Amino acid sequence: MTSRQRRQIFDAVLIPILAIITGLAFSSVFVLMTSTPPLVAYQEMFKAGFGCERLDNCSFFLTLERATPLILTGLSAVVAFRSGLFSIGQEGQFLLGALMAAWIGYAIQLPPVIHSLVILAIAMAIGAAYAFIPAILKLRLNVNEIISTIILNSIAALFVTYMVNFPLRANRSSTASTPIIHASAELPSFFPGSHWGVGFLIAVAATIFVWFFLWRTVPGYEQRMSGQAPFFARFGGIRSERAAIRGMLISGALAGLAGAIEVLGVNRQIVAGFSSGLGFDGVLVAILGQAHPLGVFLVAILFAGIRLGSQIGLQITTNIPRELGGGILALIILFVSARSLFGDVINLFRNSFGTGRGIPKEDKA
Amino acid sequence: MNEIQISQDIITLAVIRSGIRLATPIILGALGFAICSRAGVLNFAIEGMMLFGAFAAIVAAFLLGNTYLGVVVAILAGGLIGAFFAAVYLKYRVDLVILALALNLFIAEMTVFFLRVVFGAFGSWSDPSIQQLPEINIPLLDQIPILGPLLSGHNIIVYTSWFASFALYVVLFHTRFGRHIRAVGENQSAAETVGIDVARVKIFVLILSGCLAALGGAFLSVGHLTLFTRDMTGGRGWLAVTASLFGLNHPIGVLFTGLFFGFADAFAVRLQTVTDIPPSLVQFLPNVAALVALVLVGARGKLREELARRRFRQRAQQEVAATVVTPAE
Amino acid sequence: MPAVEMQGITKYFASSQVLANDAVDLSVGQGEVHALVGENGAGKTTLMNILFGLTRPDRGTIRLNGTPVQIPHPNEAIRLGIGMVHQHFKLVPSFTVAQNILLGIEPSRYGLLDQRDENAAVKKLADEFGLPVDPAAVVGELSVGLQQRVEILKALQREARILILDEPTAVLTPQEARELFTVIRDLAKRGQTVIFITHKLLEVIEVADQVSVMRAGRMIGSKPVRETNLKEMARMMVGREVLLTVDKKPVEPGEIVLEVEHLLVAGVGGHTAISDLSFNVRAGEIVGIAGVSGNGQTELVDAITGLQPVDGGTIRLLRNEITNQPVGDRREQGMAHIPEDRLRTGLNLETNLDENVIVSRYREPEFQHYGLQDRAHIQKLAEWVVTQFSVASARPGEDIATLSGGNLQKVVLGRELSGSPKLIIANQPTRGLDVGSIEFVHRTLVDARDRGAAVLLISVELDEILALSDRILVLFRGRIAGEFQDEQATKEQLGILMAGGVIEEEAS
Repeated sequence: MTSRQRRQIFDAVLIPILAIITGLAFSSVFVLMTSTPPLVAYQEMFKAGFGCERLDNCSFFLTLERATPLILTGLSAVVAFRSGLFSIGQEGQFLLGALMAAWIGYAIQLPPVIHSLVILAIAMAIGAAYAFIPAILKLRLNVNEIISTIILNSIAALFVTYMVNFPLRANRSSTASTPIIHASAELPSFFPGSHWGVGFLIAVAATIFVWFFLWRTVPGYEQRMSGQAPFFARFGGIRSERAAIRGMLISGALAGLAGAIEVLGVNRQIVAGFSSGLGFDGVLVAILGQAHPLGVFLVAILFAGIRLGSQIGLQITTNIPRELGGGILALIILFVSARSLFGDVINLFRNSFGTGRGIPKEDKA
Repeated sequence: MNEIQISQDIITLAVIRSGIRLATPIILGALGFAICSRAGVLNFAIEGMMLFGAFAAIVAAFLLGNTYLGVVVAILAGGLIGAFFAAVYLKYRVDLVILALALNLFIAEMTVFFLRVVFGAFGSWSDPSIQQLPEINIPLLDQIPILGPLLSGHNIIVYTSWFASFALYVVLFHTRFGRHIRAVGENQSAAETVGIDVARVKIFVLILSGCLAALGGAFLSVGHLTLFTRDMTGGRGWLAVTASLFGLNHPIGVLFTGLFFGFADAFAVRLQTVTDIPPSLVQFLPNVAALVALVLVGARGKLREELARRRFRQRAQQEVAATVVTPAE
Repeated sequence: MPAVEMQGITKYFASSQVLANDAVDLSVGQGEVHALVGENGAGKTTLMNILFGLTRPDRGTIRLNGTPVQIPHPNEAIRLGIGMVHQHFKLVPSFTVAQNILLGIEPSRYGLLDQRDENAAVKKLADEFGLPVDPAAVVGELSVGLQQRVEILKALQREARILILDEPTAVLTPQEARELFTVIRDLAKRGQTVIFITHKLLEVIEVADQVSVMRAGRMIGSKPVRETNLKEMARMMVGREVLLTVDKKPVEPGEIVLEVEHLLVAGVGGHTAISDLSFNVRAGEIVGIAGVSGNGQTELVDAITGLQPVDGGTIRLLRNEITNQPVGDRREQGMAHIPEDRLRTGLNLETNLDENVIVSRYREPEFQHYGLQDRAHIQKLAEWVVTQFSVASARPGEDIATLSGGNLQKVVLGRELSGSPKLIIANQPTRGLDVGSIEFVHRTLVDARDRGAAVLLISVELDEILALSDRILVLFRGRIAGEFQDEQATKEQLGILMAGGVIEEEAS
């Protein structure tokens, strides 16, 4: 490993850690308003989010279950970002994937395993198809992809609301929801009473796939070059348009897959108001994870853990509103992106660890 | 027969009035996004700023015992958020989209947190002492048939949203400062070299957009109801962004696209009660229309390019044909 | 007393480790047209940016009409009566001419603007200086020449007494350039001081009273134009005898490799960039395309390499029509391209050496199997480039962002020549390089030609064209203005053709 690579890894690890510490330190102001000592609160939060007392009562498993869709939507954002498109359409693709899963899950009969595989495939296809729209609008008509995906997200949310309330509504329910899917479509879990299961394995596989695809394959190389240096890519003979469309298709498929797994593995149906926010969280996870699959995997778990920890550890144990967790996450994101804040600290660390040059001061000239 | 006619009129009128009401926060948020876009700043934090305005308005109205003061506090609070946004963006060079997403998340979560911690409310909060913003009848206008009942009798925020549209139009297109804003947005270095203070312009538009969005939020919490609930804006900030783009970031255009969104909402609700057309289908309309508008704007640019190219080919081939006769080279 | 006197100006850019100005002195007389010449990277623009307050010098003093001044910001420069027209115009495209000229100094009543007042003010200004413009025209729809006029008026409106023009003719057609020279002379007659930056010596002779030559951050000398000539200026500029010599064997042209027929290409904005152009390049020869930049070079290269669509005519590579083929297909058939802009187009500075050297060849079976990249082979290629082209301080797997300009160009050369290409398009291959690197690039191109490659060399440096080419074509306004065998061509003849003249006439 070269010194530069060492330095990059050092940065990639150190900046998020500093951001987390700073975020927690800032948030302690809010904790103090609740008359619980911050250290006690954080201890409870981390115990509930990342602890594991016994195998049959392990909250960390629940964290992993909740991290599953975040990993996938995060990976979806990574693939889009790395292809040069700042797509935040994961939410819409996720919702459509979930809707397809809920529908096919009860509407048709198929043998176990096959049923769920068919659903996963269809959900990926629908996610990919929905991601194709902003991609082609961007490439052909130069429509800003952030803007088109925002609109497509709300269209998808309205469509899902309509489908759940009308065509797909289960008759007996008072709040609108789709019927429960058949057992054959369910994704099995590792333990009874938990939803942590096959979906997580798929997320792990997807993480490895995305890494392998981007950094070991020819299309992945095309993808990254087009995203990083579009002129260079075109000059070298890379068909950037194709690469971008391919990237968006993969991105959409991953988000659609996330939606399907959430339905098949956890919810088993869609209830009205299923506006998850998991898509947006995926964008945040991708940013925090430095647009790297491994980073996304770890950050998704951190994200889910802090959310769960604030729900159980804070809200139930210490009576601090669970919303603090979201606030902490927002602060962490802020501090990660304001990395120049940490420039001096990082230089200090580097000098003491002897990893070479620090971040150069910005040249205003 | 006459009675039926009148009742239908009243129903239509009621729907339109409700559309105007529903449009108000969207117009204000969209104006906030538009003015930032004109200065080249993509402010995707409208949703968060609006939500913060809703929260600040109702809390201040309760604490100060005056709803108008509550609205003023909301505007100031929005401006403060805008100033914070500007400071972080300009000083630490944080990516705008990331900053906006983080801010939206922070406000969505922490407003609920504070309601719990301060008022012990779970997710939604109200207090009987809080007065709704009064409706104001405009003298003379309210005498005119149809127009009177339509346009008069709204609260001050509704009127402000209309006034703000026209005021912003004048500012952007007929004042020095507005021209400087547009210059910064279109060619920042051109503005810099003639001595326009770019940072000042950006700080100003972000503060103003915070004020506008927060005012829109105040309409939700003290203008229409007297209530704050978790995620009260429910995506209206994003609708505002869409409306602004749909209105091509022009204040007057934004007024109309905002109203379009509001009417679509109102008719959706109305249709639900009188027919069985699902409301979400009607709410599709403005979104799809916005997408179509974006596509058309893009297509127009492409078409121009294509036409120019075609014209060029024809002209150039004629030129070549003309010169081939004379021995060249 | 000189209008501008700069003394001992020194500026070091830490980020790029360049000493851009090294104790530079410059003295410009009142009412004089002063040409500041030098090659790319000589430090001309830095010096002028310092005078205009865009860059702060590390050391040195500036005097205007004898008074020492500090110029920390363009605002101060404008206040002191200095105006600058940048190479890339600082205009707002959707604004009218009047709105652009008055930007920042709009006349207003209580902040409200009056379009009529503005148009009238600009009309008056334009009449006063004899520079006709339509105040109400939208700037984005004007020709480049008129946009430049708007920039000049913008400076004059701010009562500039000293006008700096940064490479003003680089973007102009020769016709527009001639008009600009008339404008410059007129301004000088009115007592305005004009400093104009250029690297085209013919322009100096045509318009300037005094010339100052810079090289590698130093001021080499300053002379009245009457007392000098092209040759002397050129020698001062390049610091060596003008004629570069490259040892090369006599040309043995083989079969036709590149064949361009009746090529038609549109430039930005739809004007004719390349018009009915036909030529060919044979194996084993270097064909040089001479010309002032902006005469269609970029569009020609982009059309041949596939980066820009062709509007008419055909391009053939080894008898295969490639007119509308994508870039990748052309490269597979043996086309190599050394691009004009190596930092943005030629290289990806955000990634490592390996990924940079493979970009033109990543699809070849040697470097991938079933869609998986063969990293070992790619690394071998990177090693080959580093050793064969002696790229100092580069190693496979490491980032290239910190390499010097010369070494970066060696990476580009190494990559482009690695697959033994049949056709090499070299567009300004030595731009901004030091002498050592220039020689290396020249040697490499000649070697490739001796091995039988067809080389198309596009350069604005006449010396380079003359030293390397076996055949020279002069490009003027998108057409070939003349063709020479190497030994027939003289610099004077080329210069006349490049300026749009005809050989029989006397050069003006």
